[in-house]
Amino acid sequence: MKKKVVTLLMAAAMTASLLAGCGSDAGSASSESGETSGTGSEAETGENAGAGDAAASNGETYKIGICQLLEHDALDAATKGFQDALVELLGEGNVEFDFQNAQGEQPNCATICNQFVSDDVDLILANATSPLQAAAAATNTIPILGTSITDYATALDISDWSGTTGTNISGTSDLAPLEEQEDMLLEICPNVQKVGILYCSAEANSEYQANVVSGCLEEDGIAYEVFTVADSNEIQAVVTSACESCDVLYIPTDNTLAAATEAINNIALPAGVPIIAGEEGICAGCGVATLSISYYDIGYTAGEMAYEILVNGADITTMEIKYAPQVTKEYNKDICEQLNIEIPDGYVAIGE
Amino acid sequence: MLLLSLSPMSLLRALPGACGQGLIWGIMALGVYITYRILDFADLTVDGSLATGGAVAVMLIRAGVNPWLALIAAFVSGMAAGLVTGMLHTVLGIPGILSSILTQISLYSINLNIMGKSNQPAGVDQYPLIVSSRYISGDAFMKLRFYGGVIAGCLVLIAILYCYFGTEQGSAIRATGCNKSMAKAQGINTNFHTVLALMISNGLVGLCGGLYAQYQGAADVNMGRGAIVIGLAAVIIGEVLFSKLYTGRRFTFAYTMMAVIGGSVIYYVVIAFVLWLKMPSEDMKLFSAIVVAVFLSIPYLKEKLGRKGATA
Repeated sequence: MKKKVVTLLMAAAMTASLLAGCGSDAGSASSESGETSGTGSEAETGENAGAGDAAASNGETYKIGICQLLEHDALDAATKGFQDALVELLGEGNVEFDFQNAQGEQPNCATICNQFVSDDVDLILANATSPLQAAAAATNTIPILGTSITDYATALDISDWSGTTGTNISGTSDLAPLEEQEDMLLEICPNVQKVGILYCSAEANSEYQANVVSGCLEEDGIAYEVFTVADSNEIQAVVTSACESCDVLYIPTDNTLAAATEAINNIALPAGVPIIAGEEGICAGCGVATLSISYYDIGYTAGEMAYEILVNGADITTMEIKYAPQVTKEYNKDICEQLNIEIPDGYVAIGE
Repeated sequence: MLLLSLSPMSLLRALPGACGQGLIWGIMALGVYITYRILDFADLTVDGSLATGGAVAVMLIRAGVNPWLALIAAFVSGMAAGLVTGMLHTVLGIPGILSSILTQISLYSINLNIMGKSNQPAGVDQYPLIVSSRYISGDAFMKLRFYGGVIAGCLVLIAILYCYFGTEQGSAIRATGCNKSMAKAQGINTNFHTVLALMISNGLVGLCGGLYAQYQGAADVNMGRGAIVIGLAAVIIGEVLFSKLYTGRRFTFAYTMMAVIGGSVIYYVVIAFVLWLKMPSEDMKLFSAIVVAVFLSIPYLKEKLGRKGATA
């Protein structure tokens, strides 16, 4: 019996010491990153709140839970925009962010959102579709703002869409102007025979965009073929086959492909197939042109909506979903030169 | 300093959610226990069959089917996945781990076809779901119903499995896992019983998928990613922490299954703890791996220390 108790204690002690060790390391690491990059606002504001920033304060500190699906330039930018907007509007020290990243795993989204609800945060920012669904399942009282979500009606299964959800959910959409993207494709490649639409079959948002774009192509009487990859391992084979049968490729705002632009470029560029991209990141890596929205902007807009809800008492159930405030026509100078593509006026080179 | 700024109350408040999630995943862990421990078969079908269960349940619920019936369908669809793995292994002679990987890969396409797209929502506001993370933050009655229901469900499952593995057929499965040649010599059709165990196991996993999809309000083609790790972690954590408490008593097998579900709850409590520590989320996977490695190594180190003690 004694031995059993000792065993249990040993197991407990090992876990405890491990947890404690990791905990203190983690604390210092996150405060460092907060100082150097300026993005880890939770560390900064946490300290400032302690100091008592009375001048800008209206006496209340808002606690906001942010659940982001995975590390990704676009999603990171949206989170940063959201945090910047609120720090600007509320004043540093009056808002505290609990930023959690689900590491691309869905079970984590539910854990994180449950934690926000049990912490009774003032507002939840759900960055991407899975966090939004998890947050919606977790609470119908705490206001939820979404961002980087393409279509709220699809994500939340709302059949009679009227611009608002009618529940505790609103937010900003990353829907790019798809019809204009299709126009752009025809403008840059007027002699196109067949367009290949390429996306990852695991991403609902990409599928939605692909359907809209293929509808536009159909209207204009242009042949197209849809290619999907299940994960990044399949990209090489699928892109190779797409480049053989099509003379232009279109890639929507797809997270999986966005993370593999180099691999795509290595196949499409030698094959001489231009790519029209749904967002700037993909275009910078492998595309010739894009009509891009800024994820920072939609995050910032979501931040402004949060301010309306928290401070001015706006009713979230009647807030309309907002879209990117402006779009820019951009092109990739390097790839355009290599493919001898003339870019019309009105486009901005990426990175200039 | 930062550690001091963490509120212990916040951790305490996060525990109910972690327990709820752990209990649901515990059903999957039971499935993993059946293949990994009883049958001694490394079954990676789990990552796919979990999503299959979720997909089937959500699609049926969206079509207006009663969620309970949808759960049964999820169980059956999981069994079908197990059947395929078993057939690949026994009829076609493909090594076990490989045949389960083949099934898992093919299930990706099948799940996409079931759902029609990668993500299908089924919100608690639109449908009368059995479980939802909404219930955890609801009023006392809702909480009671949720936890009471899930715990009772787990206990019923354990009771059924306990009785089943006591029957002749159940014992034959155990014999197959324990010593294949000996079981064969006793006239047991080991191939049949391997397939049967895989079906039961994946049926439980599918059931868990059906519940979990309702809990998070959506089925997603990626929802099973990493499920096998959670399952194995739950089995091992449960065994390491609780085995001393019941070994040698009556109903050991039933206690073992409870321990597996307990292990799953602890896994999620640890995740909640990590989140509460506000450690950088990019290190979270490393951390989960370390926790599992620690639990895995405890039995070995314990034995080693014990032997030293005996010789000294």
